[in-house]
Amino acid sequence: MEGIRVGNRIIGTQGPVTVGWENIPKVQGGPVKRFVFTWFQPFALFALLLFWYYAPNSIAKTSTAIGIGIGFKVLLMGLEWVNPRHESWRLTWKELATDLFYVGLGYTLLRIVDGYIGSDVAIKAIQEHWHWDKFAWFTGLPLLVQAFLISFIFDFAQYWMHRGMHNWYPLWLPHSVHHYITQLNVNKGAVGNPVELFLIGLGFGGFFDFVPRAFLLAGSIGLTIGIYQHINVRFDSPKWWRFLFNTTEHHSLHHSQDYEATRSNYSGAYIFIDRMFGTCIDGEAEMLGLENGRRMSIREQMTYPFTEGWKSIKARYGRAPTAVPAE
Amino acid sequence: MNLRFIEWIWHVRGSLALAPGQSNEQAFDRLEPLFGQSGTSHQRTHDTLTFEKRDQAAQDKMSVFDGGVLRIASDATGPVLRYHLISRALLFCFLAPLLFIALGQLTIELGKFEKPPAEAKAGSKDAKKDVVVPLNPVDKFLGAPAPEKPKKDDKDGGGRHKKATPTAAYVFAGIFAVLYVGGRILEDWLVRRLFRRSLLGA
Repeated sequence: MEGIRVGNRIIGTQGPVTVGWENIPKVQGGPVKRFVFTWFQPFALFALLLFWYYAPNSIAKTSTAIGIGIGFKVLLMGLEWVNPRHESWRLTWKELATDLFYVGLGYTLLRIVDGYIGSDVAIKAIQEHWHWDKFAWFTGLPLLVQAFLISFIFDFAQYWMHRGMHNWYPLWLPHSVHHYITQLNVNKGAVGNPVELFLIGLGFGGFFDFVPRAFLLAGSIGLTIGIYQHINVRFDSPKWWRFLFNTTEHHSLHHSQDYEATRSNYSGAYIFIDRMFGTCIDGEAEMLGLENGRRMSIREQMTYPFTEGWKSIKARYGRAPTAVPAE
Repeated sequence: MNLRFIEWIWHVRGSLALAPGQSNEQAFDRLEPLFGQSGTSHQRTHDTLTFEKRDQAAQDKMSVFDGGVLRIASDATGPVLRYHLISRALLFCFLAPLLFIALGQLTIELGKFEKPPAEAKAGSKDAKKDVVVPLNPVDKFLGAPAPEKPKKDDKDGGGRHKKATPTAAYVFAGIFAVLYVGGRILEDWLVRRLFRRSLLGA
């Protein structure tokens, strides 16, 4: 397969990819449909920012945020139904059940584990040990700046953790499981080995203090930007949106069957972090997944990092097979 | 143990009349492309087609099934395709509520070992934390509501350090119960439609 040169790299020698915004298909349909699927993303972002900025204290609560989050995801699933990016990514009952299983684990098991050994717990222990208070440098800043900082600090840590996962074998093992998904849907971000999901959630934002409303604003930034990484909707996102934020186009390239293309677009919400460090490629892919799109069962997803890790350890440190002399 | 009474949970059975004048060979020829997907192996005899699937792709129209038998037999009305399909996904979805109920119970049990909130321990520190940071002048100008002093018994204001509750686990147990019922009906209907359309060549 002939690849496409992007900077110093040749992309798409092992799997089909599309590079460059001009080569990506546009939303098909009448002017209303095209308008909706061009402006939906910025509208949702600014509407939620406005809501959380002005919501009275009696409404600005975590429970409201959870409700909005669920409602927004259901709306996005409706958009996937109406205007899918690729027919081959259409959600099936089995994919929905699998995705929801992982979403459920995220809300239950991972939350329990995070409560004991998550980064917030570790940071609290460090702070208590050294008698540090949270760094209150940012609490006097305007709310939207605080919200941006919360999401940026988290995304920056996630970028390097994610990049590390693609460059260091012990971290790659748990992350590789997430690269066996063969289609993108709105809940696919939750699919992966629990060890990886724990690692990718680590951050150092806990060292800093922010006002509570800033967390709600930051949450809405995550909800209305980061969520589009794994979505099967064709949007004609505005140019500035694609320049600043991660999109399903960027992330589908990251999940493609081409090895070199997977080593790009590592950020969660802010693709400009990838632009800063030279790992951004603008493009998309439809054929996804490692081993030419072999779909892994949940059981294998749970055990794969450990079985593969064990095989690697044995191959490296195990006793070499004794040669049997030929008679 | 006789599984006959419970195997409907993950076994899907059904029958479809062949088109008038359609032979066994013609019927299986029409159905065979469904079993040419990656990860699928199948064997065919004169009246039986047996298949098995492993790591089936999401895009496979029969991905929910892991194996099964399709047999053509004669009925009073003529030749009929009888199918018996097995789905581990349906079984796991049926069992998933039990897992989430167990996780809910685990959350409750672990909560019993938790120390009570260290309010008394860090009285002075809490008092320091309760000081409300004034809004930035930009936010004041734009009209954002000023933050309130957090109430001592404010359960919602606990934010990231909130005590874990089993509610999410029970909600997911309910979601999977509904998902199972929906899936058992939907997948039965979809596979029947798929076979019918394949047989008729529609």
